Amino acid sequence: MGSSVSRLLRGPAVLYLPAALFLLVFFLVPLFNVAWMSFTEPDTGVGNYIAFFSSSFDVGVLLNTFKTAAIVTLTSLIFAYPVAYVAARYGGAFGSFLLIVVTLSFWTSFLVRTYAWMVILGVKGPITAALVMLGWSPPPQILFTTFASTFAMTHLLMPFMILTLYAVMRRIDATYMRAAAGLGAKPLKAFTSIYLPLSLPGIANGSVLVFITCLGFYVTPVLLGSPRDKMIAGRIGDEIEQMLNFGGASAMAMVLLVATLGLFALYSRFFGLDKLWK
Amino acid sequence: MYSEKTFPIKLVAGLIALFIAAPMFIVIPMSFSTAPSLEFPPPGYWLGYYQRFFTDRNWTLPLFNSIVIGLGTTVLTLALAAPAAFALVRHDFRGKALLNLVLMMPLVVPHIVMALAYYSYFGALRLVQSYTGLILAHTCLSMPVAILILTAALKTFDRNLERAAANLGSRPLTTFRLVTLPVLKPAFLVAGLFVFIHSFDETVIALFISGRDTTTLPRQMFNSFLMQADPVLSAASSVLFTAVLIAVAVPAVMRAMRRRRPTPGRA
Repeated sequence: MGSSVSRLLRGPAVLYLPAALFLLVFFLVPLFNVAWMSFTEPDTGVGNYIAFFSSSFDVGVLLNTFKTAAIVTLTSLIFAYPVAYVAARYGGAFGSFLLIVVTLSFWTSFLVRTYAWMVILGVKGPITAALVMLGWSPPPQILFTTFASTFAMTHLLMPFMILTLYAVMRRIDATYMRAAAGLGAKPLKAFTSIYLPLSLPGIANGSVLVFITCLGFYVTPVLLGSPRDKMIAGRIGDEIEQMLNFGGASAMAMVLLVATLGLFALYSRFFGLDKLWK
Repeated sequence: MYSEKTFPIKLVAGLIALFIAAPMFIVIPMSFSTAPSLEFPPPGYWLGYYQRFFTDRNWTLPLFNSIVIGLGTTVLTLALAAPAAFALVRHDFRGKALLNLVLMMPLVVPHIVMALAYYSYFGALRLVQSYTGLILAHTCLSMPVAILILTAALKTFDRNLERAAANLGSRPLTTFRLVTLPVLKPAFLVAGLFVFIHSFDETVIALFISGRDTTTLPRQMFNSFLMQADPVLSAASSVLFTAVLIAVAVPAVMRAMRRRRPTPGRA
């Protein structure tokens, strides 16, 4: 016993055990407690899950969450790709400028950017003013709609997507494209048959990360979105704060958690979890 | 051979970059606005909301709290993550893959799930509405960030430096203090900065577990959002944005200036 303890102390365990124990006590145990509550509060059994999946409102919230995440992922990919492409392919002063703008936005708090959209899309904001000037009267309600929150979330997650794409594109050898051109391929053909396939890992990384982040998004949908078309995170918040329904909230949290971890596991199975940080 | 026209795609990229930067063109002028509600363009300009941000207790206390919690989180996270990063990079042991998984998990678990988890768990431990609770929660969430940065730095560390020191008769602890630590110092600083920002910006968990006296800045901002009336929010936003601007732009400009200057000869 004594010798095994001293052997343990000389090994790597003494280095990683503090972090591991910390996460066990302050991360894994609270998380398991949520799973436990979902089956025991207020009664033992799967009642909370039955209630969730038999409520057309809650199932609608879940579907709406997936739909929004899909739209945000696709839109941000479409807008992010050209920026990452130009920054990676042509570099130079313009490339650095693009990267600085993206990095600035990336590090600016979600709340600050959400606030900016609240001003821009608001009743007294520039968009409404422009619509009125163009003759759209009375102007449409933009703020507190699903459009507003989807739009803002796309903006919030785009830097994330660009930086992930850029990380992969930066490593694509420029000589491939020159070789294709030298062999007579038109630029579009060279792009679709060489560059695009080589950038696919970046597309996969970025899309999965943005989709997962979007699934659990709380702040922006609550502040800018429509009270009628909720997303699941906002729904969980309501159950905790307004209903004090911990069992129901826990069941919803488990549904969200399983969806998120499931997607992530699927993705890491195909693309290799470790590739992300190796 | 076809010549590639790069202008159109660069124009598209530039326009998208403009869209990404757009909110900042709004937030800064808004913070000087005299309008008591969200109105753009502003009807007039003054500094009143900045004054309130830096003197009104409703804003100074959250700012102070966020700084205390951010610093506490940074110290605790680095203290736990640094040794773990050494173990992950320099040792092989049973359960390493599992450890890696657990260390990275906080990155993927949605914050609202952890907010619920801490709300009930810390409630039972009487840690809600305390600095300690928030620091413990933020440390868990920041762990992956610190581990990623520190392991990346450690992998590129040239161990021959340590071997050379050992050959010259230095004892392990002295080598660590005089060789390993100075070489890794930039990585520690970067990891510390990222962890601090991570904690400073965290909103969802703070919303659910910080109390009246431990309200963080994001929570205060979120609440004044809901009331929609408090224009100090725009000053707060501008201050946060300026901090980011300085943190991002200063190193970039310095790097650009160093590149332009001829490299000094090293005698």
